[in-house]
Amino acid sequence: MGRIGEPRYAFDRLLTAPDSSATAEMGHLKKQVVTVVLHMQDARYKALRPDEANRGYKLTFESPKNDKLALFQHGERAFDHILLLPPKSKGLGPALTPKLLLQFINQNGNILLTLSADSPTPTSISSLLLELDIHLPPDRDSLVVDHFNYDAASASEKHDVLLLPQGSRIRSDVKNYFGGDGTIAFPRAVAQELGNSSPLLAPILRAKSTAYSYNPKDEAEVVEDPFAVGEQISLVSSMQARNSARFTVFGSAEALENKWFDSKVKSVDGKDSKTANREFAKQITAWTFMELGVLKVGRVEHHLSSITGDAAGNDSVAQLGYLNPTIYRVKNDVTFNIEVSEYTYDHLSPLKVDASDALQLEFTMLSPYHRLDLIPISQTPNSTIFSSTFKLPDQHGIFSFRVNHKRPFLTNVDIKREVTVRHFAHDEWPRSWEISAGWVWIAGVWITVAGWVAFVGIWLWSEPAYEQSKGKKMQ
Amino acid sequence: MVTSGIIYHVLRLLSMPVDIRNICVLLAPGFSGLTAFASYLITSEMTTSPSAGLLAAVFMGITPGYISRSVAGSYDNEAIAIFLLVFTFFLWIKSVKNGSAMWGALTALFYGYMVSAWGGYVFITNLLPLHTFVLICMGRYSPRLYVSYSTWFALGTLASMQVPFVGFLPIRSSDHMSALGKFGLKDEDCGNRLTVPGVFGLLQLVAFVEFIRQQVPNKQFQTLLRGLIFVVFVVSMGVLVLLTVSGVIAPWSGRFYSLWDTGYAKIHIPIIASVSEHQPTAWPAFFFDLNLMIWLFPAGVYMCFQQLKDEHVFVVIYAVLASYFAGVMVRLMLTLTPVVCIAAALALSSILDTYLVAENPIPKEPQSNGQARGDSVKSTTDMIKDSLRSTRNPILGIYSYISKASVVGAVTTYLLLFVLHCTWVTSNAYSSPSVVLASKLPDGSQHIIDDYREAYYWLRQNTADKAKIMSWWDYGYQIGGMADRPTLVDNNTWNNTHIATVGKAMSSREEVSYPILRQHDVDYVLVVFGGLLGYSGDDINKFLWMVRISEGIWPEEINERNYFTARGEYRVDDEATPTMRNSLMYKMSYYNYNALFPAGQAQDRVRGSKLPADGPQLSTLEEAFTSENWIIRIYKVKDLDNVGRDHASAVAFDKGNKKKKTAKRRGARVLRVE
Repeated sequence: MGRIGEPRYAFDRLLTAPDSSATAEMGHLKKQVVTVVLHMQDARYKALRPDEANRGYKLTFESPKNDKLALFQHGERAFDHILLLPPKSKGLGPALTPKLLLQFINQNGNILLTLSADSPTPTSISSLLLELDIHLPPDRDSLVVDHFNYDAASASEKHDVLLLPQGSRIRSDVKNYFGGDGTIAFPRAVAQELGNSSPLLAPILRAKSTAYSYNPKDEAEVVEDPFAVGEQISLVSSMQARNSARFTVFGSAEALENKWFDSKVKSVDGKDSKTANREFAKQITAWTFMELGVLKVGRVEHHLSSITGDAAGNDSVAQLGYLNPTIYRVKNDVTFNIEVSEYTYDHLSPLKVDASDALQLEFTMLSPYHRLDLIPISQTPNSTIFSSTFKLPDQHGIFSFRVNHKRPFLTNVDIKREVTVRHFAHDEWPRSWEISAGWVWIAGVWITVAGWVAFVGIWLWSEPAYEQSKGKKMQ
Repeated sequence: MVTSGIIYHVLRLLSMPVDIRNICVLLAPGFSGLTAFASYLITSEMTTSPSAGLLAAVFMGITPGYISRSVAGSYDNEAIAIFLLVFTFFLWIKSVKNGSAMWGALTALFYGYMVSAWGGYVFITNLLPLHTFVLICMGRYSPRLYVSYSTWFALGTLASMQVPFVGFLPIRSSDHMSALGKFGLKDEDCGNRLTVPGVFGLLQLVAFVEFIRQQVPNKQFQTLLRGLIFVVFVVSMGVLVLLTVSGVIAPWSGRFYSLWDTGYAKIHIPIIASVSEHQPTAWPAFFFDLNLMIWLFPAGVYMCFQQLKDEHVFVVIYAVLASYFAGVMVRLMLTLTPVVCIAAALALSSILDTYLVAENPIPKEPQSNGQARGDSVKSTTDMIKDSLRSTRNPILGIYSYISKASVVGAVTTYLLLFVLHCTWVTSNAYSSPSVVLASKLPDGSQHIIDDYREAYYWLRQNTADKAKIMSWWDYGYQIGGMADRPTLVDNNTWNNTHIATVGKAMSSREEVSYPILRQHDVDYVLVVFGGLLGYSGDDINKFLWMVRISEGIWPEEINERNYFTARGEYRVDDEATPTMRNSLMYKMSYYNYNALFPAGQAQDRVRGSKLPADGPQLSTLEEAFTSENWIIRIYKVKDLDNVGRDHASAVAFDKGNKKKKTAKRRGARVLRVE
């Protein structure tokens, strides 16, 4: 067994030979060219803009009515990200059909879609959302009200400005990128309901249990069978596609308007507080536009545990070809190391995996033979090195080391390294005399040999006199 | 392979630089020559006539039954194996004749070589003990037999155990059917491994009894013999039962049954039955492969009965067994061919020896004739007896030149026709590669259908290096060799479950197949479709075997009956069953096929049926390549949908079908839980 010490990684090497699969993910980070498709109403969202500009985005404002608007140029994405604000007109035009938006996602583009109860959602958008298993209320004017958590200052009558604490974790093992202590004001929000089957969906902000969605134009006194109630209402929901492209549905475009960024709100029990909308908007845009929760895989290596890097400096391991061999033998002890970093706003930092979760390694052929927790063994300023040492199964074939880490809000990591596992070579078995159970047989062989030699010797020695035997036969 | 390696190195040692490929190509013809020589030797042991051996050698050299394995380029272990088979038999006969331990040891040596070369070695393993057993039963026990069989048994068993694949099998008679899989050509194996040690034990007993009879007076010998027989019987039965119960010896396995009941394999081991070489032989095949020898063969066997020495008994047993096995399986025609050549040569040589003599035979005194004529009041029974005696010792010889000439002429004509037939078969059936199909155009010019190579080169040049291809196992070697891509199963896949998995993926609905394809990392699926060209060896015709094989593993998921219509027909047209039409194989074969025809007139030229007006839809696969004559169709397996939809709805969306809003919910709400 090799020593699981802290292998000396030089990070500069990581940069010079980055993992190929990681580069694709990192492409967004370097470019930071962002285009926001806005409607003409953009004056209302001015407060949103400086934030974007500070973070290095290049903004383009387009109206869906613009004929020259095209998401793709020569088959490639023309923009990195899209921020869709609710349009005044009914449709979104030929440049923003559901098909094109889906293609944009499939080509690694990110979309932040905002909805508003004031302007009806175009059918093309709702059919796109339906494809993703996100459901909107059937009536276009529906909004979410909550008679226990509303802003008493601005919506004392209608109760349609929700006050919500900044998001909490959706699950105990999921990292929270949208946390904070502030209160978010959510005026006239459109409820979304998420389907139960898709693993790609995750709610970012849910309504309180007392909220419900209804159509204010409905004249009825009592709301019967509302579209969604309570925590089933997702006000901000996210879909992270399999290629890690992000799609966020923001239930209230108004919450991103200037006036809600630093306004004062008053809760039902009379407490005044400032809204945290600005911070929340930053979190949402940062996450959607790949500034948060982006994992980068650095070096991935595996080798026999018996070979350690510190014999003659770190380089010898790689130079002698011991690193990442293509073939192992059954029952070898093998060490697998993977270097993972997480991107936060402007820098790479070491990935910290929650205690209730783990980065796992699978050693798999058709199905996993091993599924092991990778343990963080060391850290560089930018990354964590996870490692696992195990004995290969007693089965030969084409196996692969696989790290398949897919969590809500984190980009997908699916690393696969194929290796051959051979069986014992004929000279790798223990010699016969090393097996104590074989001693009986070995003894048997040699006794037979010795006995035969002895018999032949005795036979030759005791040859009867020729004359005598002839005489006997004659009788 | 080792053989060609050795030849290569020996030639190199003799400073003859020969490419290893040339050796491989010419190995089969080379060994064919040796086989001819071996059959000359073995026939010469049977008869004193020198012409018989030569005829046998000539027959062996050109008969289509063997030339299928001995044409240049057919690099198969059977090429060596037939030579070894015949030569081992020759050595065995030699050793039985001479009672020589040296010949016995040589037999064992070649037997060992045979074991390492071909699975058909079990034919020898069973034939030699059977020969011995029959000889003992005929009361022909002799020290010669004892020496040769004991030598062969001891050394041969040791030699065969050196081959890793055989291992301890000769001792434990469990013949592992499943492991041999479809490659297990040896139906003749049949758990009869018991016979080898059994006959050996019997031989020891007989030898012992003979020894005692020489030593003990007759009266005591009788009682002793009775007691001995009883004891031996009880002990051997007890041991046999004990071993069978404890599982050391597997009693009878599938292959044993399939030997006696030719339908057995079809029901229970479809993978064996699915190989075309393992089908029961059709009658024309005998004539096709053996031609004139097939009617000379019984005559030759009859002539063996006339003399019936030890070696003739061997030929008789060989003839009977091999004929039976050749009837069970087409492939075993190969083991029948040598004995047919030998017997036919015996028959033909005796005809030629009789008729091809220019001078008249010296007439003997016609004694019996004269007597019969003189005594006219003899009873009829005596006359028959006399006539029988006269047939037993006939006056041999033909006097008339006309009859000589006509018989010799007829035989010569037959032989010439035989040569013609052999040449025709060789050039037509065995000289063209199976990947290139040749056909004649109406004007008589040749038209080459080269779809296989076209598709394989497409794979080679257009797919990722490690792209995994799924196809039925028949094409595994070709894809591996010509397209240089890994395949899921190939011609040497021994794992029945593995092949059944592919069969299941082909014969299930897309929703069932897709997870299987994903699990096995399949990138492309290749099917062979002959519907456009009328090429009958396509996958739809093999499809039932895929269904049967996978039904063997997943009987509750795949059911062969569902692929037949209610009237029990196998159809692909409008009346095909839903199971059939939803199967991946059907969809892949007929996808987009009706685009070739005017609406509603798509026709399958192999099945001769009109296809449904709207063709099948594929959602989890996309067509990647279709060859010129549509023989090969390659499909790419789609990745999972990027935004988590199932493939069917993704395809529907791409076509512009909008999902309907869930306007009104039915039943209880489905709540989302994290």
